[in-house]
Amino acid sequence: MIEVSHICKEFVLTKQQQKELNTTDKISKAVDDISFTCQSGRVFSLLGPNGAGKTTTLRMLSTIFKPTSGSIQIAGIDAVKFPQEARKKIGFLTGSTGLYARLTPNELIAYFAELYGVSKQDLTERKERLYSLLNMHDFQNKRIGKLSTGMKQKVSICRTMIHNPDVVIFDEPTSGLDVITAENIIQLIRDCKNEGKTVIFSSHIMSEVDLLCDDVAIVDKGKLLFNGTMSDFRGQMQADNLTAEFIRIVNENRIIN
Amino acid sequence: MIFTIFKKELKDTLRDRRTLMMMIVIPVLIFPVIMNVFMGISSSYQEEAATKSLQIGVINPDHVLIDELKNIPAAMGKKDVIIYKDTTAMLADLKKDSIQLGFYTQNDFSKMLTEKNPANVRVYFNATDVGMQERGEAYIKIIEEKAKKIRYAELKLNEKELTPIVTEYKNIASDKEMIGKLAGGILPYIFIAFGFIGCMYPAIDLFTGEKERGTIETLLTTPIARWQILFGKMGVVVLSGLMASISALFGLYLSIEVFKMVEDPELLAIIHSILSPGFILMLFGLLFPLTIFFAGVMIPIAIHAKSFKEAQSIITPLNIVMVLPAMVGFFPGIELNGVTACIPVVNVVLATKELIAGTLDIGLLSLSFIVMILLALTAVFISYKRFDKETNVITEIKIFDVIFGTYLHEERQL
Repeated sequence: MIEVSHICKEFVLTKQQQKELNTTDKISKAVDDISFTCQSGRVFSLLGPNGAGKTTTLRMLSTIFKPTSGSIQIAGIDAVKFPQEARKKIGFLTGSTGLYARLTPNELIAYFAELYGVSKQDLTERKERLYSLLNMHDFQNKRIGKLSTGMKQKVSICRTMIHNPDVVIFDEPTSGLDVITAENIIQLIRDCKNEGKTVIFSSHIMSEVDLLCDDVAIVDKGKLLFNGTMSDFRGQMQADNLTAEFIRIVNENRIIN
Repeated sequence: MIFTIFKKELKDTLRDRRTLMMMIVIPVLIFPVIMNVFMGISSSYQEEAATKSLQIGVINPDHVLIDELKNIPAAMGKKDVIIYKDTTAMLADLKKDSIQLGFYTQNDFSKMLTEKNPANVRVYFNATDVGMQERGEAYIKIIEEKAKKIRYAELKLNEKELTPIVTEYKNIASDKEMIGKLAGGILPYIFIAFGFIGCMYPAIDLFTGEKERGTIETLLTTPIARWQILFGKMGVVVLSGLMASISALFGLYLSIEVFKMVEDPELLAIIHSILSPGFILMLFGLLFPLTIFFAGVMIPIAIHAKSFKEAQSIITPLNIVMVLPAMVGFFPGIELNGVTACIPVVNVVLATKELIAGTLDIGLLSLSFIVMILLALTAVFISYKRFDKETNVITEIKIFDVIFGTYLHEERQL
């Protein structure tokens, strides 16, 4: 379970950034007082236009960024005070995740397993299960740099799941992927949900959100505009479809502000 | 965990062809190539000196000087004497190197000698033609000594009585000291240069490259402290720098022991006495903190840079700034003292020179070592502060877009 309470994230602007943005503000708020809860065994979707603060929020959840204020609980651990402990519980996958091109999938998975403190026995078992699930046996000893995009994404998935995390964060995991590879990810998210894991899913593709998510939150300009279940969202819809409703909510908020 | 990161980064680095070239291949080849070129030039120069006749132009109407020059034994170098009638033609030939020396006397040269007056000789030479002035002086000295002896005999003078002081100059410096002081700067220069170059590509690849490829974000989500990641990576950068220096040393060993490029047994014995295990240990004792210092200077730049290209464009000129001070080792006379021991790079070069010459003061060596350790620690601390700053680790452009993307692109995105 993830509990996010009143988190804010401020960045100090350099003089060059101030000049480019024609502003005298020395600080910019990327995330402004956001709170939500993600339950175990459910998929929580974080939606927002580009630059809304989604990635910054997800980076705070995965402890890459430290919130300026507020608190984050990951599987009962205070992620702000004990980020290293919290990271043991998190699997983080993005669409733009880079992999070490000069390593083989086997070497990469073994490396991350060691970093997460996975025992050799657990590594062997989990690797075998994930390799079979993702059809990875054929290319396990090839250099990652020589693999196709789909194969690389499978390696990324395996890397994300090798320590069997309680919480899995997917930041636009299907962006730029072909249909078959994207389907692998969708299946993985379903599996995570069925295994009782907490899943956070951020995407621009509303059909995927509609297909997978139980709960949804919409953010824009760092602020939370909507937070509730998918059925609540559908129930309050004024537009014809999810995409139109999402755009309506964001635009309405911008007009008010 | 530092070791886990170190192991992986080392494996990754050793699979990078560009790094391997800079870390092992080029350093191993540098000494054999330099020595081969040097020995080739040197032997061809010696061969030329032994076989080539020196062309000497002379304007000497009474022929006395010409005869004297011709009488000088060939052991002093082969020569042909060419007689000129005027200086214009002789100087023109000297300019175009048809002749290498020109002697000019007045008509009364023989008369002045006979009458026991000073007889004038003007020697023309081209100073860019190395050694010609010395050859001219040597010829004149032989002729002068002969003339002196004739005069002493005619005047019935005792030569010893006219020599009140006999001076003997004795060089007490050993050959090892001479090599250390005069040429000892070359060795540390090469090791320092390769130490820097060896650090360069791994530093860029492991920090900027990781940012550019997006792998750093994945690494930061693992339960490892940032300082552990930094130290694991830094260890590989330092090791690569040291590996480049060790490879250069190995190249030196190959040149001497395998390719037998040094044939002179005396010189070989001196080189063997210089390159003792103790010397190599002390040299790398000095190079170790220097390499950490290099890594500590490069890493913050690599962390700050947004792309491999940007990092390379900053670090490459830095090479000149950092390695240029190592050239002080080429100048004789600059020695390790309280001031030079506090200047990074310079202190390592001068300490190595003194080490080769066997004249190293242990107090100054300790001071150099302490200065390098302090600088290395400072550089590590700066690297840590840079790496710990979250906006530096994730590509700044990305963060910039994340924060301002809404303002800049909101209409297009919606």
